[in-house]
Amino acid sequence: MKAVKKSFAVRNGTVEAVKGINLQISRGEIVALLGPNGAGKTTTVDMLLGLTQPTHGSIQILGQTPHQAISAGQVSAVLQTGGLLRDMTVGETIKVIGAAHGRPERVATVMQRTDLEKIAKRKVGKCSGGEQQRIKFALALLPDPDVLILDEPTAGMDVMARRAFWQTMRGEATEGRTVIFATHYLEEAQAFAQRTVLLSQGQIVADGATEELRHLISGRTVSATFASTDDAEQSSRFDQSVAVTDVQGLRYEFNCADSDSFALALLQQYGARDIEISSPSLEDAFIKLTKDAS
Amino acid sequence: MMTTYIQVEFARHFRDGYNLVFALLLPVAMYVLFGNIPSYTDTEIGAGNVKFYLMISMAAYGAAVSTVSIAGTVATETMQGWGRQIALTKMSSASFVGSKMIVAATVAAVSAAIVFGVGALTGATVSQGWIWGVSYLVILAGAMIYACYGIGVGMIFKSESALGLASGLMVFFAFFGNVFMPLDGAMLDAARFTPMYGYVALARYPLLKDMPEGTDMAPDPMWMMATNLVLWAIIFAGFAVIATRKAKARQ
Repeated sequence: MKAVKKSFAVRNGTVEAVKGINLQISRGEIVALLGPNGAGKTTTVDMLLGLTQPTHGSIQILGQTPHQAISAGQVSAVLQTGGLLRDMTVGETIKVIGAAHGRPERVATVMQRTDLEKIAKRKVGKCSGGEQQRIKFALALLPDPDVLILDEPTAGMDVMARRAFWQTMRGEATEGRTVIFATHYLEEAQAFAQRTVLLSQGQIVADGATEELRHLISGRTVSATFASTDDAEQSSRFDQSVAVTDVQGLRYEFNCADSDSFALALLQQYGARDIEISSPSLEDAFIKLTKDAS
Repeated sequence: MMTTYIQVEFARHFRDGYNLVFALLLPVAMYVLFGNIPSYTDTEIGAGNVKFYLMISMAAYGAAVSTVSIAGTVATETMQGWGRQIALTKMSSASFVGSKMIVAATVAAVSAAIVFGVGALTGATVSQGWIWGVSYLVILAGAMIYACYGIGVGMIFKSESALGLASGLMVFFAFFGNVFMPLDGAMLDAARFTPMYGYVALARYPLLKDMPEGTDMAPDPMWMMATNLVLWAIIFAGFAVIATRKAKARQ
């Protein structure tokens, strides 16, 4: 089989959810589509799955159209919202979709692997958010796909459930499968994807190894209020990593590598007060990356 | 794949019961209620008696309501994202809708059969045996046009309660469609344009066909009944298509 290829561009209309994305993903890669809400992640996923047609450009998965690839059971997905019927039992849901894929023999294996046997008789509506997500994951595993696409698979889960989900994922979905997942959690991309594609306002802002991306947005943001601008100017020369990112009157915001010693110096040497330290958010990363790009 | 789907569908509907009570028990309850008023129900009418006439009416109503409530779930389930889930499998949306139609037709058949069964046991009679079978088949086939109506309403209102509304409106259609009780005068003239009139009139035709023109309860000409049924079938089908397109565009 050839490498997985996708390229599409410009989705027109009243709202341009995806404004021209070119992406090529090879077999066996694990790729995170990272972006805030409204970045175009779900639209991208929907187009990959043939649920929406791109207004321009084309998409190929394993050398076929998305529709062909899905009919062949080579691509499957965990959808973000809905997709389950509340009054069906867990077992019935898996059985029905297994039959719809023409793979009834996979039902028992998948139920066992995703640990759903115990709740097979329970109605879907009575399952917790984490359990429902596990059901959807099981549905995606039914056709034994080569490419697995997950649209915010952990949305609405608490931290524990998220961790458990990715653990199952690591065990079950990495056997040579290509995994593409959309998320707005930076940690998930870091923990699971070798490659991260950053999306913002329907465009790719960055695309590379997750490790590189992490370096790009490493460090801490430190803000402090100074008695005079002189103090502030001096403090910005504390070490090489310190850079002023925002100034509002006497309130300064810095980016730095070693926030602990910088904060100590701010208090002891530069007479700063009201110190706040935070990790840069994904939004900060976007701002930084879009600035770098221009 | 359809077999499994249909099996699970039945399991679900039986478990919930809510839909089925209205579809299966209400029509027969109404038949028992209206069909056993001794003052007139044994009176002869057409080829049979009034009980037979009422039995057809209630069976037709039951079959139509069953179809509406089950076909309507196509819409509510599609809106819940189940349609997308199905779209990610080999199963085509045609076989999804087809499975639903088979379930709807089966429930409609059972609903009408219960009314006919109770009718047979409680003294509904007709002079020629074939009228039982033909009336039953007309009821079943005609009920299918209300599937489109159920899908359309479901697609527009996107909720389970919409199906309650759709079924509720059927009571209204049945009343003004000359189903529950014989209308006359201006009411009857207006009834000829309502969605259930042609359907129930055709179902009653085998019973009433030999009644001389001009007498009370004599059937309308065939073209009138058929036109009503066909026109409403087209209206409902168009409604379902437009509603589905609108719903899909908003998704």
